Amino acid sequence: MELIRLERAVIGYRTPLLPPLDLAVRAGTTLGVLGPNGAGKTALLKSLLGLLPLLGGRRILPHGRSPRVGYVPQRDRLDMSWPLTVLDVVLMGRARLVGPAKRYRERDRREARAALHEIGVGDLADRPLYALSGGQHQKVLIARAIAAEPELLVLDEPTSAMDPAAERILLDLVARLKKAHNLSVVLVTHQLTAIPGFATEVALVDRERGLFEVGPVERMIDPDKLGRLYGREVRVAKVGDATAIVIGNGAPR
Amino acid sequence: MSGFADFWAGRDLWREPMIAGVLAGAVLGYIGVFVVLKRMVFVSAALSEISGVGVAFAFWLGAVLGIDPHAHATIPLLLEPTWFSLVFACLAAALFSLRPGHRKLATETIVGLGYIISSALVLAILNSPRIAQEAHAVGDILFGNAVTVPRKQIEALFSAALAAVVVHAILFKELLFVSYDPETAMVQGIGVFRYELLLNLATAVVISVATRAVGALPVFAFSVLPAAAALMLTDRMRLTIALSVLFGVVSAAVGYYVSWVEQLPTGATMVVVASLFLLPGLVKILRRSSV
Repeated sequence: MELIRLERAVIGYRTPLLPPLDLAVRAGTTLGVLGPNGAGKTALLKSLLGLLPLLGGRRILPHGRSPRVGYVPQRDRLDMSWPLTVLDVVLMGRARLVGPAKRYRERDRREARAALHEIGVGDLADRPLYALSGGQHQKVLIARAIAAEPELLVLDEPTSAMDPAAERILLDLVARLKKAHNLSVVLVTHQLTAIPGFATEVALVDRERGLFEVGPVERMIDPDKLGRLYGREVRVAKVGDATAIVIGNGAPR
Repeated sequence: MSGFADFWAGRDLWREPMIAGVLAGAVLGYIGVFVVLKRMVFVSAALSEISGVGVAFAFWLGAVLGIDPHAHATIPLLLEPTWFSLVFACLAAALFSLRPGHRKLATETIVGLGYIISSALVLAILNSPRIAQEAHAVGDILFGNAVTVPRKQIEALFSAALAAVVVHAILFKELLFVSYDPETAMVQGIGVFRYELLLNLATAVVISVATRAVGALPVFAFSVLPAAAALMLTDRMRLTIALSVLFGVVSAAVGYYVSWVEQLPTGATMVVVASLFLLPGLVKILRRSSV
């Protein structure tokens, strides 16, 4: 079952960024949107979510309505100096569920605290926002997305400032949440290492090369395709049950 | 007679300006928390100037049509400067709520353009030969003087403050969300433009009315200084708002008293008193940085 589908979609702000594309977000899948910085990933994500009108083509909602989305924005876009507690921020995830002009109820506070506990940062609920580390802040944003009781979890560059170990821990957490809440996930990233072992489908995006290609992860994590995306030689190797990707110095094959 | 006794004896003279100042300090102290947190402090200065263009325009139009907007008994409702002031400020607030798609024209630039152009327009209209005789009186109406405030303006300020507080009280959850993280709010289906417009309109109406009651300088100061002072002292939203309102009220009342006793300019004295509330926060920051 599809949640959102783009058909012959032309995306862009005034002029097309990519050739007309077909893309579907299916229930229970994890779609990784991969591309270098400035590749048009954010425009694609905005079009998928209906925030950026298409220049052509169609956005189809097979359920007849937009899915409930839990959104994790890029952490550095948020101002940490606001006088908010962690609980204040997580409660924002409940705003749509509560409805306009109504206050958060006790149930919303319970759900927000439960989301924080589930992410493993329950003890931070009353801490001021400015006192969080980068990793804690990222987890709080994920807790807010979970508090929205989403069908679709969307993460925009969630691991961009993380070391490889922290990246894997965070992706494992998202995988665990996906299973526990029966979620579909869209992960936008420029980091190659985030995709193998996490995504089930991958969209490769690069507006410079007019490139858009989507398919199962096994087919897309391919030296030739990745080489074309990054304009460099890329090697892919199996190491135990993990996939190692190395970007070389040479030109793509 | 002592300073305070002298002040108290003159209460019939200062009661209304004091009420206007305290009201403006309270409501702008509240709204200022959003103004400062949204990093739009220049918006209040721009709205002040733009609402001034409305007043000046009403006079200019009256002069062109041969009607004196000062003559309240005969003035047609459509030429009432207050309406022009509100309409101009609300149009500007709507413009500031738009999120420009063009990278070279950020909201900050639009606000700056609004300030510069409206300042020039006010000067140009006030120096127009058509209203040269009334320029001084128009200046008072434009930017208030905080010394004498007609009861009508206090009522207008009270109504504007009440409307703004009611909007904030009912929609606080939404206004906070769209102000803090508009991107996520939009993804969640919250009408970001609608709420930002409402927030900016409430701000515009209060600033427009308060500017005429107490003057442009105190309005700009009350929408920045109390909130900035409160933000340096606490990391809780509700306490920030409470402190900011308190600082605004005390700045207006003490500022007015000091200006009376020391015979200083009222608006400027209020601003000086408001700026003193920054000191505890600065001490706190200095202490932290020296640890």
